[in-house]
Amino acid sequence: MTPGTFDTGKSHRKIAGETRRIKVIRTLTRKSWVHSAAKLVISHMERRGGTPYQIDAIRSFADDFKHAYLKEKPCIYTSAFVPNELIYGLGGVPFLPEAASGFAASFGFARESLAACESLWYSPDLCSFHRAGVGASVLELAPRPAAVVVSSHLCDGGKRSLYQISRYHDCPFYILDVPYTNSVQSLDRLAKQIGKVARGLEHEVPGLSKAHMDEAIANSNAARSHYLRLCNLRANIPSPWRGREALSYVVLFLWSWGSPWLTKFYQALANHAADVIQSGEYPVRNERFRLAWSNLKPYYSPRLFDYLEDECEVSIAFEEFSYMYWDPLDARDPYVSLAKKIMSNPGWGPIERRLEVVNRIIREFSIDGVVQFAQWGCRQYNGATSVLSDYLRKKGIPFLNLDGDGVDARNSGEAQSLTRLGAFLELMESRDIRNSR
Amino acid sequence: MKAGSYVMGIDVGSSVTKGVLLLDGQILSNFMLPTGTDLDATAGECVRRLLSDRGLTQKDILYTVSTGYGRTQVKEADRTITEITCHGRGAKALVPRAELVIDIGGQDSKVIRLDEDGMVADFVMNDKCAAGTGRFLEVMAERLGMSLLDFGRMWKTARKPASISSTCTVFAESEVISLLSRGIAPDEIIRGLCDAVADRLLGMVHRVGLVPDVVMTGGVSKNEGVRLSLEKKLSLKVVVPDASQFAGAYGAAIIGHELAMRN
Ligand SMILES: Nc1ncnc2c1ncn2[C@@H]1O[C@H](COP(=O)(O)OP(=O)(O)OP(=O)(O)O)[C@@H](O)[C@H]1O
Ligand code: SF4
Ligand SMILES: [Mg+2]
Repeated sequence: MTPGTFDTGKSHRKIAGETRRIKVIRTLTRKSWVHSAAKLVISHMERRGGTPYQIDAIRSFADDFKHAYLKEKPCIYTSAFVPNELIYGLGGVPFLPEAASGFAASFGFARESLAACESLWYSPDLCSFHRAGVGASVLELAPRPAAVVVSSHLCDGGKRSLYQISRYHDCPFYILDVPYTNSVQSLDRLAKQIGKVARGLEHEVPGLSKAHMDEAIANSNAARSHYLRLCNLRANIPSPWRGREALSYVVLFLWSWGSPWLTKFYQALANHAADVIQSGEYPVRNERFRLAWSNLKPYYSPRLFDYLEDECEVSIAFEEFSYMYWDPLDARDPYVSLAKKIMSNPGWGPIERRLEVVNRIIREFSIDGVVQFAQWGCRQYNGATSVLSDYLRKKGIPFLNLDGDGVDARNSGEAQSLTRLGAFLELMESRDIRNSR
Repeated sequence: MKAGSYVMGIDVGSSVTKGVLLLDGQILSNFMLPTGTDLDATAGECVRRLLSDRGLTQKDILYTVSTGYGRTQVKEADRTITEITCHGRGAKALVPRAELVIDIGGQDSKVIRLDEDGMVADFVMNDKCAAGTGRFLEVMAERLGMSLLDFGRMWKTARKPASISSTCTVFAESEVISLLSRGIAPDEIIRGLCDAVADRLLGMVHRVGLVPDVVMTGGVSKNEGVRLSLEKKLSLKVVVPDASQFAGAYGAAIIGHELAMRN
């Protein structure tokens, strides 16, 4: 399954970004006492009355990371839109370098990861979520992969950079070649590919077996129903949850379907949202506007959200990435179900599908304006900006294309972003004043 | 306390700080000074000058709105508004038929489309890089040993524009040097530079949609060469009001006046 024979593996070149603290973290992540200590800290947080959904999220990652770093379970790297039920169902743990880049940026390690990646000749115009992911992997900040599984749909940089990672670590690489058009035949073709990848993984990676598939599918479906409840609650005015948090927890939405922790997380989060609505203690009390947010956010600085949510009292009511787009999975036919899930991603196929979701979000979440965070180097989302902006203009919904970078702070100016956001809110306000006259 | 309602608009731009004083909604005076490094002090100085010129004190001022890159640094401000909204409002007040506003300052360029009521309908701003803005033109003028004030005259004498492919300050500087060493006439280089700036704006203009009544604001609007290149490329006339560099501060003051009247 590994295309090409040319050896693109480890280079003789010294990699940039090898700082002292990187070496320390690399060493610590491989120590079992560190993971035991993390477990104790989480229990302590729980006893001290920490917020349940936050604890569940930490626990979810702590659990996966422990298995992956201590090699208790095979760690399989996947690209952002691979259904990870497949990995949990085989008894492995997924690791998403792109999503982990968000972590790296939040904890201030993005610089080293980006430098490492660039020193290997990756172009700086590649999306920084990939660059930091590759960097974290070659610096071995991330656990080592036993195999890599990518899908060809949506993000183009993902499959290529993950292919390089598989060569670097000399491990098997699998690609799901997702058909563009939705038909019975294409679904069948994709389901067969998923089955083939599962068999390949079972065969090539010791410790993987599809014995866990039923459980992973059941976990995914259970998490899905709690998630739908959460979505219903998020339609409440004012918003019961902060958009900045939602954009952070998008990582779980990409990562953890099939994990038992995701069910607990969404259940706790839905309960939290219900409590907020009940108590009236909304995070943005006097909500002036409700925004829909497209693509991700800067993970290295909260400034934009301090401004939006705290200073301007504007909520991000829902994110395009958070829209639930698939039907419940069928454990009797897991590969067909997962193929359907992949094929129903609204970002894939004709642009009308994406517009339809944006339209539903506008209606279901009473949206006043749409912000697209135009991630530097993202062909997938930025390529459709003119279509999206024309569509929203016709509907009379204000739209802002906000250039920025989620991981690489060098690619945008905070002052400029604040000016654009500010002007956008002023535009909405002036329309509002006029409409109320 | 003096009679009438005095209102101030202070625009702390990245290069120049501008202030406008209104009396009952009409411009009474204006003042500008380089922004420098101490935004706080510069804004304070601008306020002081506006007041002292008219024998006023801070107590006489009903309302102050600050705008521009350093808008949050103005201690005297009752409210901050972005320069996009302020340039839109200021341009509309200076040229009532304005539909599209192009503001080019020291480090940013913005294109603003106004609706029938003169409110911002849509806008775009240059990306992080300050290519093709005022600072770019200053560096080029320096390299050519010319004054920015000569750009209009030189533009007109040039037989054709030299081809400048970059609006990046660093690359364009070396391009200019290489053109000079190849014996290309300075006026052609200047016209080429103005065309390069206009080309960059063109993309922004079409993003928000070109509408006929175009007004230029910001300091670079005073650069006749840039205006001529823009007019040629847009195939229409671009209006530059006298107080174009004060449009942001004026817009801020107008909004201040409205807010003061509402309160
Ligand atoms: N008469 C003139 N001819 C040509 N250029 C001029 C003239 N007067 C000012 N400029 C240019 O205008 C720029 C300053 O304009 P302006 O005051 O609008 O900028 P700013 O508001 O400080 O910047 P920004 O809006 O980017 O933060 C300077 O780069 C200056 O070189
Ligand atoms: S932001 Fe765009 S390029 Fe980057 S990972 Fe996401 S889809 Fe891919
Ligand atoms: Mg300005």
